[in-house]
Amino acid sequence: MTAPLLEARGVWQRFGGLVANSDISISVGRGEIVGLIGPNGAGKSTLFNLIAGVLPPTQGTIWFDGEDVTALPAAERCVRGVARTFQVVKSFETMTVIDNVIVGALVRNTVMRVARRKAHEVLEFCGLAGRANVLASDLVPSEKRRLEVARALATEPKLLLLDECLTGLTPLEAQTGVELVRKVRDTGVTVLMVEHVMEIVMPLVDRAIVLDLGKVLVEGKPKDVVRDPKVITAYLGDRHAVGA
Amino acid sequence: MDTDFAKRRRRDLIVAFCLAAIAAVVPLFVKDVYVQNIMVLTLMYGALSQSWNILSGYCGQISLGHALYFGLGAYTTTILFTKFGVLPWFGMIGGGAISAVIAMALGYPCFRLRGHYFAIATIVIAEIALLLIQNWEWAGAALGITIPMSGDSWLKFQFARSKLPYFYFALGLVCVAWFVTWWLEDSKWGYWWRAVKDNPDAAESLGVVVFNSKMGAAAVSAFLTAIGGAFYAQFVSYIDPESVMGFQFSLLMALPAVLGGIGTLWGPMLGAVILIPVTELTRSFIGGSGRGVDLIVYGGLIIAISLARPQGLVSLFTPKRKEATR
Repeated sequence: MTAPLLEARGVWQRFGGLVANSDISISVGRGEIVGLIGPNGAGKSTLFNLIAGVLPPTQGTIWFDGEDVTALPAAERCVRGVARTFQVVKSFETMTVIDNVIVGALVRNTVMRVARRKAHEVLEFCGLAGRANVLASDLVPSEKRRLEVARALATEPKLLLLDECLTGLTPLEAQTGVELVRKVRDTGVTVLMVEHVMEIVMPLVDRAIVLDLGKVLVEGKPKDVVRDPKVITAYLGDRHAVGA
Repeated sequence: MDTDFAKRRRRDLIVAFCLAAIAAVVPLFVKDVYVQNIMVLTLMYGALSQSWNILSGYCGQISLGHALYFGLGAYTTTILFTKFGVLPWFGMIGGGAISAVIAMALGYPCFRLRGHYFAIATIVIAEIALLLIQNWEWAGAALGITIPMSGDSWLKFQFARSKLPYFYFALGLVCVAWFVTWWLEDSKWGYWWRAVKDNPDAAESLGVVVFNSKMGAAAVSAFLTAIGGAFYAQFVSYIDPESVMGFQFSLLMALPAVLGGIGTLWGPMLGAVILIPVTELTRSFIGGSGRGVDLIVYGGLIIAISLARPQGLVSLFTPKRKEATR
């Protein structure tokens, strides 16, 4: 199949008088790492939530794997193969790390023993194996981020949605995170990531989509996007626009 | 790692079996009827609290209206027996089934509420049900219903003199409630429930259907609670709305679990073993004269335990996991 894995067609989202997303159409191809960037209030998180199924768009459709999933709730989309992490980590705090991941693994495995084994594999993959029996509330922030990814991966997704999972980490932690994302893609999972930190995202992604004021501003190869005067204006204001 | 986990599960099962075996022989040595009575009540509240713990402990939906299901169980068996001659054994199952259905019917609107609002709704609904029964002439209204005694009989599950049959039934009920919890703990439902309790949004994103999880927990919890109610009706052989649906029952189901360790396998039973005898003993020894001294002592004890061990008494027995792995 050559159809894109994920497609948003003419998506609008209004919150009362506020238009958070206006007529956004984007697509993500299989095996890509796509970065969704833009200044604060650009509508990234809204679009992200629409794709994850947290809320239905006011208008427009979301297509996943050749199917219209606009009306499906988040849990159903997870079954279809969409997994996500949260910008503000949402671990199951009273559960151990391994139990957190088992919750995800249960989507595909109904036999507990199999789900448990799968969860251990994912923890190994994410470098958290040593922390399996620790309570999630006892993890340090960077480990919690990693747990979010592990939990999402345990659902065996086709598309992994990462919501600022590299923000707020030390450079070293962020670098480990970048390697993890690459490793995830190498297993055949498509990645769509919302990020703030340009210098981390740009070398990582195959393609960047820049949102501004609820619209797609620019879309293309990272190196072209960062030089685009429109992007520079959006981020830094008119005074810094070069060659415009 | 996996073997550790399996070992712990097996150890729980063995410990439970041993405790049940020990409990089973206790009444052979303790002949005092008063003490036997306390033991029956302790087991009953242990079972009820274990049932409450499924919805409120594991799934995190704090119910303060479980008296409703307790009362439904009591009323269903009693009415079926006194009006239609249905044996209490079938009445129990019927009461359980009705409670489970009603729990889901009530859950349909109520599970859209989160946190405190859900708890408030459960209190209100239980109070409404209490008022309805109090005014329902056919069901005995405020006067209640007496179960006619016709000699000791296992068939009709009534015994005039001996407490032992009730004791063994209550013990069996505790074992069933404990085993159901043990079994659910390592099942898809158990994991879903805990995920829903800790973070419904994250659970939803991992394919957990939050609403259905809550409905499932409510049904299991209400079913077991109603069996307890049916048992209680047989045990006291007289029921009226206040004595089986009063708010105090909702609290007495919640307290052992909360003190023993909410959302844990052993918490409710441990809480019941401490709390129920204390309730009864304070009532017997200092309740009569002092006008509420028993309740002051009782309340003080609860405050002391919850201050000293906010995670519940069961945490005294769990090894310190944190230090061990760090």
